[in-house]
Amino acid sequence: MYIYIDGKKISANDGETILAVANRNNIYIPTLCHHEALDDVGACRVCMVEITHKDWGGWTNLVTACLYPVEEGLVISTSSDAVRRSRGTTLDLLMARCPTSDVIRWMAEENGEISVRYEQVDDGSKCIMCSLCVRACEKMGCNAIGTVGRGHDKKIAPPFFENPENCIGCGACAAICPTGHIEMKDTRTTREIWEKKFDFVACEVCGEPVMTEEYRDYAIANRDLPADYYTTCSACKKKKLASHFDKVGS
Amino acid sequence: MGIANLKKLEARRSALHKAHENVKTQVRVCSGTGCAALGAFEVYDALVEESKKAGLPVQVELAPCGKDKDPIFVSLTGCQGFCQIGPLVHILPEDILYTGVKVSSVKDIVGKTLADGQVIDKLLYKNPEDKKRLKGRADIPFYKGQELVALEGCGSVAADSLDSYIASGGFSSLAKALKMDPDQVIAEVEKSGLRGRGGGGFPTGRKWRSCVNATGDERFVICNGDEGDPGAFMDCCIMEGDPYRVIEGMIICAHAVGSSTGFIYVRHEYPRAVERLSLAVKTCEENGLLGTKILGSDLNFDISVARGGGAFVCGESTALMRSIEGSVGEPRAKYVRSVQRGFRDKPTVLNNVETFACVPSIINEGSDWFASRGTEKSSGTKAFCLVGKVVNTGLIEVPMGTKLRDVVFGIGGGIIDGRPFKAVQTGGPSGGCLGENYLDLPVDFDALAEAGSMMGSGGMIVMDDRTCMVDVAKYFLNFLMEESCGKCVPCREGVYQLHALLDKLSRGEGEPQDLEKIQRLGKEIQVSSLCGLGKSAPNPVLSTLKNFREEYEAHVNDKRCPAGVCRDITTFTIDPDKCTGCLVCKKACPPDAISGEKKQVHVIDQDKCTQCGACRLVCKFDAVVTS
Amino acid sequence: MNVAPAVDMDRVGAVLDRFEKGERSHLVHALQDLQSEIHYLPKEAIKAAAKYLDVPLHSAFSVATFYKAFSLVPRGETIIKVCLGTSCHIRGASVVVEDLRIGLGVGPGETTQDMKYTVEVVNCVGACALAPVVIANTRYIADVKPGTIVKIIEEG
Repeated sequence: MYIYIDGKKISANDGETILAVANRNNIYIPTLCHHEALDDVGACRVCMVEITHKDWGGWTNLVTACLYPVEEGLVISTSSDAVRRSRGTTLDLLMARCPTSDVIRWMAEENGEISVRYEQVDDGSKCIMCSLCVRACEKMGCNAIGTVGRGHDKKIAPPFFENPENCIGCGACAAICPTGHIEMKDTRTTREIWEKKFDFVACEVCGEPVMTEEYRDYAIANRDLPADYYTTCSACKKKKLASHFDKVGS
Repeated sequence: MGIANLKKLEARRSALHKAHENVKTQVRVCSGTGCAALGAFEVYDALVEESKKAGLPVQVELAPCGKDKDPIFVSLTGCQGFCQIGPLVHILPEDILYTGVKVSSVKDIVGKTLADGQVIDKLLYKNPEDKKRLKGRADIPFYKGQELVALEGCGSVAADSLDSYIASGGFSSLAKALKMDPDQVIAEVEKSGLRGRGGGGFPTGRKWRSCVNATGDERFVICNGDEGDPGAFMDCCIMEGDPYRVIEGMIICAHAVGSSTGFIYVRHEYPRAVERLSLAVKTCEENGLLGTKILGSDLNFDISVARGGGAFVCGESTALMRSIEGSVGEPRAKYVRSVQRGFRDKPTVLNNVETFACVPSIINEGSDWFASRGTEKSSGTKAFCLVGKVVNTGLIEVPMGTKLRDVVFGIGGGIIDGRPFKAVQTGGPSGGCLGENYLDLPVDFDALAEAGSMMGSGGMIVMDDRTCMVDVAKYFLNFLMEESCGKCVPCREGVYQLHALLDKLSRGEGEPQDLEKIQRLGKEIQVSSLCGLGKSAPNPVLSTLKNFREEYEAHVNDKRCPAGVCRDITTFTIDPDKCTGCLVCKKACPPDAISGEKKQVHVIDQDKCTQCGACRLVCKFDAVVTS
Repeated sequence: MNVAPAVDMDRVGAVLDRFEKGERSHLVHALQDLQSEIHYLPKEAIKAAAKYLDVPLHSAFSVATFYKAFSLVPRGETIIKVCLGTSCHIRGASVVVEDLRIGLGVGPGETTQDMKYTVEVVNCVGACALAPVVIANTRYIADVKPGTIVKIIEEG
């Protein structure tokens, strides 16, 4: 099938979302709560696009690109006035919530002038409640963190706000967080995240940290990986592989 | 004793009919939430007890083979509507409606009315206009102009009795539907023009048909009883008062769309509805009206009653389904509709209680009968909860297209204490406030939407000049802020900011540009939010801003609340010319800010006063003034 | 702070036994039944429910904090629910909250020191015609006039 994004005719497949087609064609649509590896939820609303169709009699609609499934002949605008207004409002609201977040400010500036200032809800947090961390943790199979409460007071935290039993210190939540809200303190031998402390497994070659002990135990139990995966750091693994190729080459 | 097939159902009905014909007097005690709160259950117990003591042939169940001659059938019914003056006791066939019945009045009712046929004047409704006592429902203005369809059995059948429902014609509609092709059933519902009574007004027949056309190996029928709109309790009354009708409507739907599993989702604030529905489901199972081979047909259908956990957002269909699945009630985007992919990702029909309650009548009386009521695009009747500052409050049902004026001033009897009418709020937190210029608006789905409000589930809250529109808008935003699931940004952050702006106004700190800001943010929240809750959240603000702009401007420009509600900019004083020194306000004042002796003018100590307005509420002489 | 009494795990187990083991969709129901049994949801009970129904603990905690019906802290003997539905709001429910705050010394969501009363505000209980309404445990108190509620409740 064919769809039109910003006037460009593009081929698309049944079942794809607007965002997937746009990404494949290097058309930029901003996102905050989207990640290739995870199911989309449509929470952040910044990937809003305006759609219409020649059969819709001039009717248009604003939809989230990450969730809307394409259909033949769909006409999409990624930056119409309505899109910019909607996206601008969303970002203005997020700026009021997380005034210290650079990512949000950059995105807002890119969208256009910052027109409305709202009352700041500055609790020093950069969390925009996109839930990427929760979904990543679920995907890992750990289920260590989740949403707490609802509405404006909703938070993301481990159960009972206690140091989470199931956390293996893999760091996926911190890595995926779009605003850098989740704090992870690493030293050469330890990691601290969600107020839980972990010891690193030291690389048997160079002594650099490989992964947390809990992560190792979890991976051994749940994943089928070569033994040196748990004992050697990635840099040393690469070196080892390179020297192996060297030998093969010579 | 099961009702294995149609023949047995008819046999049972005719036996019950006979029993009914034998009944000489019916005494219906209303046990709706309102009457129950005022002591209806105690009245019922006393009535039965006292009648027995008096040697009257009293029956509490319809006994097909009763031996009594001229029995008196005493039953607990669902809401009879006129909650304001409960507990109600309705005596038939004489049509005597006793109001405000207390246990202490029971002896008289038994001795005089039941034993002797006398009417007790002082228990009759007193018409506030001419102070005349009116005997029955046929005479009382509140009941005139009403037409009961969804509420037909509510207030007449014994709420927890399958027999009573069958005697009143119950399950004859199902019997008829089972003889029809599923497609014919859907066509009837389509032709009737029935639109979803839960708020959106989506055509019910079309919904059922889309469900049938969707691909899936299993289909679900869900009844939405999560009536969360504050100020609305129609569905509560139907579930409590006529639970079998809801079940019958659902079974007909199951037959039409080919489903074998159903759920009724009831909010936890309605414990009696949960209890009565659960009992009704169990009774239906025991009698072969739910389960396998219903009434001897090939239809298998089960219903489970699911209790909500107290979240307004669970009235949204996708959130409701998540909640039944045992999860947090967060809605999902509906780009794929739930009739195609709903509960457990299977095609699902979700209708609200009142919608299902209309179905038996449509099948029984025919689609033309239903379509002949109401307006062209909103057929049938609609139940409303008429509440707020109106003289007659309660549960009503009127044909679609009835004018607001006829509801508020006809059925409702006008405004309390003869104060000026200001607005009527419809549609709950998703609706809006309509002022005096809308009084001649015919109430239907489209007219309300055009006027900037919406039908919603049917709450109708009447407001007088002492209601502040900024305060009302702020109230709804506060409600929505607490009830937002918090998933998407525009609703979670936007409603919070809207509330902050209104709060600023109510504190007298509003700036001229704030009104523009409110308008703009409201519009963006409408188009950007994920679910219906967020999309409609700004409606109460936007509609009041449109219809009562001067009042907003008074808050911003003059730092004044004309209705005398917003505490920070209101001062309460006592007008010495009007004060009679009755001590009532002094007693009512929570912070003890009022001083004064009996028969002497009272004075409010401004340092102690918290501007709560209690004194003005209780003053009978209009002596408390605000500025 | 009110000290939480020890949780009777036998009672928790007995409630959970009513549900099918490992059936995730029973979570909301199970938590409701646990709450009606022990009047609140202690941590141990939520943990036990999650384990029994095979639900990740974070989901159980999310559910327990999402729905208003659940309380994670112990509540008083009498739970006083002040309805703040629209009808009650415009007919003076805020005065009732004020009366309780002054009379009992606690605001919404709080419990008196002696664990006798918990004041809660709820959104519409469906008795709008009797506004303003207060429910003390299962008792409905209709058309509450300013300055009367504390006395009505204390007298039972």
